[in-house]
Amino acid sequence: MMLNIKNYFKELNLKHKLFSKSYIIGTLLFFYLPIVYVVMFSFNESKSLTKFTGFSLKWYDKMLNDSTMLDAIYYTVVIAVIATIVSTIVGTIAAIGLSKSKKIVKELVLQVNNLPMMNPEIVTAIGLMLFFTSFSIKTGFMTLLLSHIAFCIPYVMLSVMPRLRQLDPNLAEAALDLGATPWQALTKVIVPLITPGIIAGALIAFTMSFDDFVISFFTTGPGVTNISIYVYTMYKRINPSINALSTLIIVVITIVLILVNAIPILKEKGRKKNVQIY
Amino acid sequence: MKKFIQIKNIVKDFDGQIVLKGINLDIYENEFVTLLGPSGCGKTTLLRILAGFLQQSDGQIFLDGKDLTGVEAYKRDINTVFQKYALFPHMNVYENIAFGLKIKKISKDVIEQKVNRMLSLVNLDGYAKRNVTMLSGGQQQRVAIARALVNEPEVLLLDEPLGALDSKLRKEMQLELKKIQQEVGITFIFVTHDQEEALTMSDKIVVMKDGEIQQIGSPTDIYNEPENEFVARFIGESNIIDGLMVEDYKVMFDDKVYDSVDYGFKPNENVDIVIRPEDIDIKEPNTGVLNGIVKSVLFKGVHYEIVVETVSGTSKTVKMHILKNHDRYNESAKQKISANDFTMDLEDVANITDAEIIARANAQAWDDKDEYVSLTKIEYDILNQSGKYAVTFKTSENTSITVTISVVEPKYVEDDKQGVGITAFDFYKTADEIKESMMLSTDLKMWANASAWDLEDDSNIEIHDVVYDFDAENISEGEFDITFATKGRVFKIHTTDAKLENQKVSLDFSAEDIHIMSKFGSY
Amino acid sequence: MKSFARLAYPYMFWISIFIVLPMLMIVFYAFSTQGNDVLTLQFTLDNFKRFFSDPIFPMVLYRSLKIAFMTTIICLAIGYPCAYLIAQMKEKDQTMMILLITLPMWINMLVRTYAWRGILMSTDLSSEIKVLIGMVYNFLPFMIIQIYTSLAKMDKSLLFAAHDLGANKIKTFLRITLPLSIPGVIAGITLVFLPAVSSFFIPILLGGGEYVLIGNLIENYFVASGDWNFGSAISLIMAVLIMASMFLTKKLDYGNKEG
Repeated sequence: MMLNIKNYFKELNLKHKLFSKSYIIGTLLFFYLPIVYVVMFSFNESKSLTKFTGFSLKWYDKMLNDSTMLDAIYYTVVIAVIATIVSTIVGTIAAIGLSKSKKIVKELVLQVNNLPMMNPEIVTAIGLMLFFTSFSIKTGFMTLLLSHIAFCIPYVMLSVMPRLRQLDPNLAEAALDLGATPWQALTKVIVPLITPGIIAGALIAFTMSFDDFVISFFTTGPGVTNISIYVYTMYKRINPSINALSTLIIVVITIVLILVNAIPILKEKGRKKNVQIY
Repeated sequence: MKKFIQIKNIVKDFDGQIVLKGINLDIYENEFVTLLGPSGCGKTTLLRILAGFLQQSDGQIFLDGKDLTGVEAYKRDINTVFQKYALFPHMNVYENIAFGLKIKKISKDVIEQKVNRMLSLVNLDGYAKRNVTMLSGGQQQRVAIARALVNEPEVLLLDEPLGALDSKLRKEMQLELKKIQQEVGITFIFVTHDQEEALTMSDKIVVMKDGEIQQIGSPTDIYNEPENEFVARFIGESNIIDGLMVEDYKVMFDDKVYDSVDYGFKPNENVDIVIRPEDIDIKEPNTGVLNGIVKSVLFKGVHYEIVVETVSGTSKTVKMHILKNHDRYNESAKQKISANDFTMDLEDVANITDAEIIARANAQAWDDKDEYVSLTKIEYDILNQSGKYAVTFKTSENTSITVTISVVEPKYVEDDKQGVGITAFDFYKTADEIKESMMLSTDLKMWANASAWDLEDDSNIEIHDVVYDFDAENISEGEFDITFATKGRVFKIHTTDAKLENQKVSLDFSAEDIHIMSKFGSY
Repeated sequence: MKSFARLAYPYMFWISIFIVLPMLMIVFYAFSTQGNDVLTLQFTLDNFKRFFSDPIFPMVLYRSLKIAFMTTIICLAIGYPCAYLIAQMKEKDQTMMILLITLPMWINMLVRTYAWRGILMSTDLSSEIKVLIGMVYNFLPFMIIQIYTSLAKMDKSLLFAAHDLGANKIKTFLRITLPLSIPGVIAGITLVFLPAVSSFFIPILLGGGEYVLIGNLIENYFVASGDWNFGSAISLIMAVLIMASMFLTKKLDYGNKEG
């Protein structure tokens, strides 16, 4: 009798584990299904998006000869790089300033800062569009870039502010006290200490800009498209080159992510080796 | 010696809240000055103004004759040791100490020389490459001091730097800081709320409260001649007595006039009298200036703290009647019930509640499993006049007991001289209740409903003593006296001779030991 | 430290131009009619009247809210068990799982949605279901990560304490785990509901233009018909609705904490 109950529970536990595993695997399959699909059909011989007829690289070839697509890639990368650099610098400086500001000022600015994140993207987008056109600013590369900088800054601040909050408030004072000018205190003490937050902020800014569709769609002008807009405008036609482009993006991002995750591990290993030698 | 730092009428307000109310202070070269006061007194604000982290709202500070107003923190020849050290966590010990020198673009070999000298000054030789976040509190403290001193400032500011250390380390660092100050020979301005720290280290103590300086003086001045009650209490445990300055050199308290060395008060001015615990000698009875009884003896490590009462408090004696066990047993319900007679004040009759009657009578019922049974009914008919009244307690199973309440005219003992009134009532208990009591003094107070109050403002006064001479463990039926008393005049005395509790002694102190303070300006 | 506070001044100028002013522009356009400029501005409620007098607009609004609501419920139903199971794993496996779930998010949302288009093309599901799948796919990771974070930072000793006090697994979950994960659930709901209501490329890519949501209406009035005033009014109605629901959710969260 006792044994039976034990077995029953063992079985139950096993079932339980089996269920958990299959649940998680199912969820992951759901997430990776379209990615596998995209990669597979980028090598399809025919134009069909449902039947795989044979292996070919012709869509990659087409992509490399499609000047609109190449332009879109170019603008996406250029905008993302510039927007990341500018928003990281501006956001960091603003965050440092705010951390030393009066509480009311700080709270008010952070509230306004949160508006673009609290609002649907489309509202932010049409707001910027109305703003540009009302002031007769010609939409195009500049407006696209400004908009990207504008929506990236709040994310940079969101990642830098907690770092600043953790800092001992006396550190900047200590630097000044030891003869550092405010600029030196900033560059030699504060910035080095919040660097992880700045890097994280820059990463978020880059991906936000790289992936953005809604705001770009409304604030860009004729002749300037990014990858998202290109995909969107292609929706009516079947264009397997998009699969080729997507596969390329997937490959690049996977490599980058592997590197980013591997570097700390390699460093750690290196350190351990050093310690052993020591 | 010349006035090295002159602080003139410094006022600071934060959004209308005034935290410094016009500070005037002169500091000399090579002085170890301590700003002492409770938190919120403005001492740290003053320090931050000196460092240049805050701008004063009004007033000026002169350093060596030069006005510091508007001079940025990084241009002042003043360095600071911060409360939580504020070491740069991304730099090692060496880099932290070298920071100021590197900023000044001093050549590398000179920096190395200076940093190494500092490391040995603070006893951290060999720690140069250590990570500062891995150091102990005491070591971080030393790095912070070295980092400040390496710049050869004219003044070193220290903002409660020992606050985070444990008491043993703190004592060591006190001595070491003093040693360092003497070795480098510059002015130290030290902020603390710890009076002992201030007394051991300082050349000059500035006692502050609520943004104002209360007293400036040497540790001995501050300790022996506090200018007001605040300083006296803040600096150390003391006997502070309300007194009357009869005339110059004559002060009166507890009906007796004493010689003193103070003068300049108005005739019959009310004053505070301070007598330091270590200035009082304990002698054989009738050989000193005051006789008293030892109330408590406490060993404090180096000395004994003895409390002697010289004037007894106001007291009231009542009778406790110990009765036979009188539980009633209700066989049908298998319940027991008990309650006591009690005496109450006529004045309280109007406001009496059921709950209070249950408490005063200590009425309770329980079943054969010793579980409490609630009392569902209380019957009584008390008139608003003296007399004896019956009260019956009942459970839902009709288990009942009847006891007598004696309502009596209030009998106070009033002591006009001490301004204290006290009252208490006779009461009835069983021997078991006395034996079972876990906190007899507190229970006796409650049972007798003893209370004391200030005759002037009716405020409550603690009943300090409950005196009885029965043996609580072996008590039997009968009548016992219990005396409740307030605290009389007590003196704290620090001495190395042990005394016994309740021993009769005499206290002795001389005219110089009596310090008179004006009531003006104290709180 | 006043000198450092000054560093925030340029940014204050920046947000007034790039955040506050655009918001004001929407309000300005929503309450005026076409052809007006700042000088000849006339206040009008016509745009709002138009929105509510034609049944098609409230219908689209209702449909957007409905699909966002369904997306949220499905994400919660799939996401909570998933987050819970991940939080039960060994620490190393947890980081690995979170990495695996966030990895696809690094790939452009449109690209991933475009892929679904191919997958769903051969099926004969209704447009609504296709859009729903697209939305769940895009927003589910937000839900999982929010709930996982709140579960992972929960003090494990609480669970031991509950077991110690005699609570069984189900009771422990209902009395301890669930209440403590509510903040994560609320954050997840906001992160799913908000983009789902306003999304407009998912219905276009997966619904094939037949399934119109409020985001598509806004896009249409801005891009195709050029009636910015009416488009602004629709945006404003949506923004107010969303702000109100977020406020209510926050209040719910607050009430939860109070209780």
